[in-house]
Amino acid sequence: MREAFDRELEQLKNEVATMGMYCERAIDLVSESLLEANMAKAQDMPELSLEITHKEREIESICLRLLLKQQPVASDLRLVSASLKMVTDLERIGDQSEDVAEIIRVDKFFYTGQDIPLRRMAEAVRKMVSESLDAFAKRDIQLAQSVIKYDDIVDNYFEDVKRLIVEKIKAQDCDGEYLLTLLMVCKYFERIADHASNVARWAEFAVTGVREGE
Amino acid sequence: MIKRIFHSIFFTAVLVFLAGSALVTWSLYSYFTQIACQELRTETRIVAQGAEAGGADYVRGLDGQNFRITWIDADGTVLFDNDVSADDLTNHLQRPEVQSALQTGYGESRRYSDTMTQEFFYSAKLLTNGTVIRLSLAQNTIASLIYGMLPHFLLLLLVTLLLSGFLAVRLAKKIVDPLNEIDLDNPIANESYDELAPLLERIDQQQERLSKQRADLRHKKRELATVLNRMNEGIAIFNNEGTVLAINRVARSILDADIGCIGKNRIVLTRNMDFQNLVSRAIQGTQGEKVLAFHQRLYQVNASTIRHEDNIHGAAALLFDVTEREKNNRMRREFTANVSHELKTPLHTISGYAELLQNHFVKTEDMPLFAHKIYVETQRMIQLVEDIINLSHLDEGAGSMQWQTVDLAQIARQVKDQLQPEAESAGITLRFTDGDACPIYGVSRLLQEIAYNLGNNAIKYNKPGGSVTISVRRTARKEIELSVTDTGIGIPKGEEERIFERFYRVDKSHSKEVGGTGLGLSIVKHAALLHHARIRVDSKLGVGTKIIVTFPGSTVKNSGTVTQRNV
Repeated sequence: MREAFDRELEQLKNEVATMGMYCERAIDLVSESLLEANMAKAQDMPELSLEITHKEREIESICLRLLLKQQPVASDLRLVSASLKMVTDLERIGDQSEDVAEIIRVDKFFYTGQDIPLRRMAEAVRKMVSESLDAFAKRDIQLAQSVIKYDDIVDNYFEDVKRLIVEKIKAQDCDGEYLLTLLMVCKYFERIADHASNVARWAEFAVTGVREGE
Repeated sequence: MIKRIFHSIFFTAVLVFLAGSALVTWSLYSYFTQIACQELRTETRIVAQGAEAGGADYVRGLDGQNFRITWIDADGTVLFDNDVSADDLTNHLQRPEVQSALQTGYGESRRYSDTMTQEFFYSAKLLTNGTVIRLSLAQNTIASLIYGMLPHFLLLLLVTLLLSGFLAVRLAKKIVDPLNEIDLDNPIANESYDELAPLLERIDQQQERLSKQRADLRHKKRELATVLNRMNEGIAIFNNEGTVLAINRVARSILDADIGCIGKNRIVLTRNMDFQNLVSRAIQGTQGEKVLAFHQRLYQVNASTIRHEDNIHGAAALLFDVTEREKNNRMRREFTANVSHELKTPLHTISGYAELLQNHFVKTEDMPLFAHKIYVETQRMIQLVEDIINLSHLDEGAGSMQWQTVDLAQIARQVKDQLQPEAESAGITLRFTDGDACPIYGVSRLLQEIAYNLGNNAIKYNKPGGSVTISVRRTARKEIELSVTDTGIGIPKGEEERIFERFYRVDKSHSKEVGGTGLGLSIVKHAALLHHARIRVDSKLGVGTKIIVTFPGSTVKNSGTVTQRNV
């Protein structure tokens, strides 16, 4: 009985990791598409986004089944409930990546320099998502906490971007539409970082049972 | 087993007890019947004698508690009965015992009495007056006797049950205990039932065989693990459900996984989607390969299907580091592109000047100038092609070169003399710190190339009024050191390694004015490598550069073959 339960918990963790893998891929596709002016990568996004949504449903049903049939307690319960909440954040990450991809597809928007630290921001976000998933998989509280803290760095990047864009608009240095779209793209990245730090919070909750305040 | 033995013993005991009781009852019953009949006969005789003597009054006076006494007349009429009223009784003449008594003087019978509705024993005796006295005994008198013993029997039964139950438990345990105590790890050492000996022997044999097989298996497994872990390539093996079956140390460090991932899903290894896709396709039967990045290094991943008789059993992924290979490939591509570019530029210039001359657009007095420009460009091209040839020779290795012991100090002095005019025209002081002879085993042409290129660069990338010092000395560790120091433009920090790349220039914008092919230091690097020498660059941007080439002590006198090296 317990053995079957353990197997199902293991499967749950694997599915969450798989969903995480899709999300990491989504961020890679979007940032590479943006930075390398590669339209093909943005066109791969809708399919991946759909797959992420399917995975979310699948994980939700695994969680509900486990809750109903096995009535887990203590750390098992924390694992199941953390997974249940975490997939929502992961799904949002996929969704927001698809939003950026849509901007790329529709507006044919690519990053064309202009001294905006978009690459560093994308790398920071990618690192956060990756480490939050690692923290969940390896039950590493320290890593989770460092991800939560890292969110501030991404927020600072966003502030920098905002300031730089304002300066450029003031100096009438660049195409206004390009700058505004760039601001939006950065905002999406900043939101993804927020979701990544949420994932890290759930990873922490799965171990400690304490959910830190926002 | 205990239960089984207990049941057998217990039920046997109960059965034996019941059968015994039945037998006893039956024999008691017949014994009692016999006694009762005897008594009946005796009683009949006594009553008969009494009746002869005492007449009717005696008979009537008998109370006959145990027996029923009937006095029957010669014609069968019942004269008296102590149990029932005589008037109610029918004629008894035809009763067998009466008949028998009338004829022989005594009769007996045993039958069912209609009157009393039960079986009776009868005994009758003829009196001298022709009447018959008859005594009868109800059979249930005997039965009630037995019946009276029933409580004792029940008590006995209870005792028997308890006793046999208790004994059965003890016995069963005692029988089974030796079986439980058999040490199955050493079956032969047991002193158990003889009947078990063949079985134990068999177990012992099988155990021996099993442990041997297990040892074999463990040995093979360790062998495999050792082989896998000794491999320079990473390898991971999966079953057809994607569970990790084996993974060697290299693969674990590449994928950043720990040993605990064995037996878990492959997603635990890495969330690299390209890797996962390769493996899942291999599990479905399509092999594939791809160059993937892990931890800033490039690995070629070959995923192959593991088949056995058309069935897919899983997949294996082989990972090997191709960072260097990819880097070399990139460098080769860049080199080819650079060479083409560098060759094309002077050709364009030459072709332009030649075209002008051909179309008579050049004034006669300007002709020498044009001719000079064409000459300079062709010289540049010749130099470039020579350098490329040199480099490709170096790429091929040292095998075809002439190795001999030469004096490095002397070579350096010659190079200094060679460079002197160039230095003078650039307004640079060229110094040579002379030392003792420094014999070295090497290729004289290459050593000269090293000193020349270093000195040449030091002059070219210098400031007007600067100086260049070439020195050769033997260090305390018996190594030979060639150093070239200048007071030139220096090299930016972090680019010290790159100056040895082909066509690299610190100051990209002035390459044309300075001249040179951009291959000089690359030649120095390869030539030094061939001599197993180390190159150290000490530079400060805007202040100057010191390049030190240290030849190891071992090559000084070493006359053996030098290993070929391609860099």
